[in-house]
Amino acid sequence: MENKVTSLQEAISHISDGDMVALGGSLIRRHPMAAVYEIIRQRKKNLTVVAWSSGNDVDILAAAGCIKEVQTSYVGLQNFGLARNFRRSVESGQVKVLEQSESIAKEKFRAGGSGLTFAITKTPLGTDLMRNPAYRHSVECPFTGERYVAIEAYKPDVAIIHGHYADPEGNIHVPKRRMMDNEIDILIAKSAKRVIVTVEKIVGRRFILERPHETFLPGIFVDHVVEVPYGCHPNSCDARYDYDEEHLKMYQEMAKSPETFQKYLDEYVYSVKDHYEYLEKIGIRRLMAITRE
Amino acid sequence: MAKYTTAELMASVVSKELRDRDVCFIGIGSSGPAFIMAVAVPTVAARLAQLQHAPNLHFMFGPVIDPIIDGDFAPKSTSEYWYVNLLSAAQVPLEDTLNLFKLNKMTVGFASGAQVDKYGNCNITAIGDYEKPKVRLVGTLAQTDIACYSHRFIITVKHDKKTLVEKVDFITSAGYLDGGDSRKKAGLPGGGPSIVVSDMAVMDFHETKKTMRLRSVHPGFTVDDVIKNTGFELEIPDHVGQTPVPTELELGYIRNKIDPCGYWLKARLTGEEATLDRF
Repeated sequence: MENKVTSLQEAISHISDGDMVALGGSLIRRHPMAAVYEIIRQRKKNLTVVAWSSGNDVDILAAAGCIKEVQTSYVGLQNFGLARNFRRSVESGQVKVLEQSESIAKEKFRAGGSGLTFAITKTPLGTDLMRNPAYRHSVECPFTGERYVAIEAYKPDVAIIHGHYADPEGNIHVPKRRMMDNEIDILIAKSAKRVIVTVEKIVGRRFILERPHETFLPGIFVDHVVEVPYGCHPNSCDARYDYDEEHLKMYQEMAKSPETFQKYLDEYVYSVKDHYEYLEKIGIRRLMAITRE
Repeated sequence: MAKYTTAELMASVVSKELRDRDVCFIGIGSSGPAFIMAVAVPTVAARLAQLQHAPNLHFMFGPVIDPIIDGDFAPKSTSEYWYVNLLSAAQVPLEDTLNLFKLNKMTVGFASGAQVDKYGNCNITAIGDYEKPKVRLVGTLAQTDIACYSHRFIITVKHDKKTLVEKVDFITSAGYLDGGDSRKKAGLPGGGPSIVVSDMAVMDFHETKKTMRLRSVHPGFTVDDVIKNTGFELEIPDHVGQTPVPTELELGYIRNKIDPCGYWLKARLTGEEATLDRF
């Protein structure tokens, strides 16, 4: 059995400047934040982030100057407001956006993960999404004559998603009671050339073998597995732990200006050696306070 | 007559637009007044319709189908834990609910926007020049899908000149585009917006021109108030009625059964209590 367990540093080192990186999760849920922080620590540049719904993952990457383009359906902090760093980056022209609705993004990942090179949609017809040349190809159904817009399948260089458990071979387990918005993580992983999965805990193979119906993504799709408990913090992780309200409020406060946000980056990302040092900064009290199941 | 809140009035109006066997898509997220507009009003309206004239109506929060949301069953926060554990008929991959649009099975969608124009086009993407925006907003969410495919959709919006504009800066979701038959010509399968419910009035759309038309004014406001707070020339018919106020029965359902704790219409579940009342 191949052992795919590696350190966060090693896994993220496979990302090159200019890569297209797909990130799992949605809103402020289950984004692979520990991996995002490591991308920032390794000072990756000019990334194109593709996702179906984004939150503080894209916001902090924009603040750290890691990305040149974002293709997603949403960037925001849900009930905590607009993504302030992302907003500044787009308003200043530093970061470009390809607007895509939830279903457009889903179709592009599904096509990529199905070995197709494009998908079709009617969603953007008539809207200003069509201003982007990505939507310039109109296609007609050869059977019915209906008009569609062709959308290019995703084939990201690297995809990063977060799961609950994995065995060393990278069979990823997520309990059945989970947020079903994030099932698109499976499509995201399948579309990519290289797949990194961060998990709450590495378990023995027996754990997986006894629950094969709860294997979210089989190891054949996975290249690297990294153990990062509370690896979505300050995001939520299904019913396992909640988003950290206190931390996100502080985050939003510091995101009010680039200067104060630089302090956030210094405190929680740059000055932190690894994920465990990050968790020590957050502290056991906060982590226990957000733990649910 | 019991006094009612603007949110209760809006929920009552929206519920009357819903029919038996409708399938409604409601997004989840946001906070404060925006949550009341986009999430709470549609949710309470769907429940009111189920309790009154539409017992077989379905509604879903993204992937959560037929949730039980009354009273203490309501989620206590917007965090995942509460949605994962909501009593509901099914929690399916979001792909399945998004595909309901394409299968032509989603009869009702809801839309809102930082800008809404006279043709019902909505903008939640950017204010100002798109290439160099004054304010970058959230993007599209599923709103472009909702407006494209659902049989009809209902717009809930704050009534002021900044929001109700002549032309949106960016069409995130298609209303009637440039009016007339332009929506049909663009190839959009869904029927477009049916009504616009604001905190001041109810609007619909002219049958052929597809421009927004005043239908009724909420008690406490005049036609003049509405005109002054609209950033384009509304169609004003000869007779404009007053919006029917919620009935005692509806208020009883809302306050005693659906939302006794204000999790929905007071936005308490978002952790930021809010109101749409102006007085």
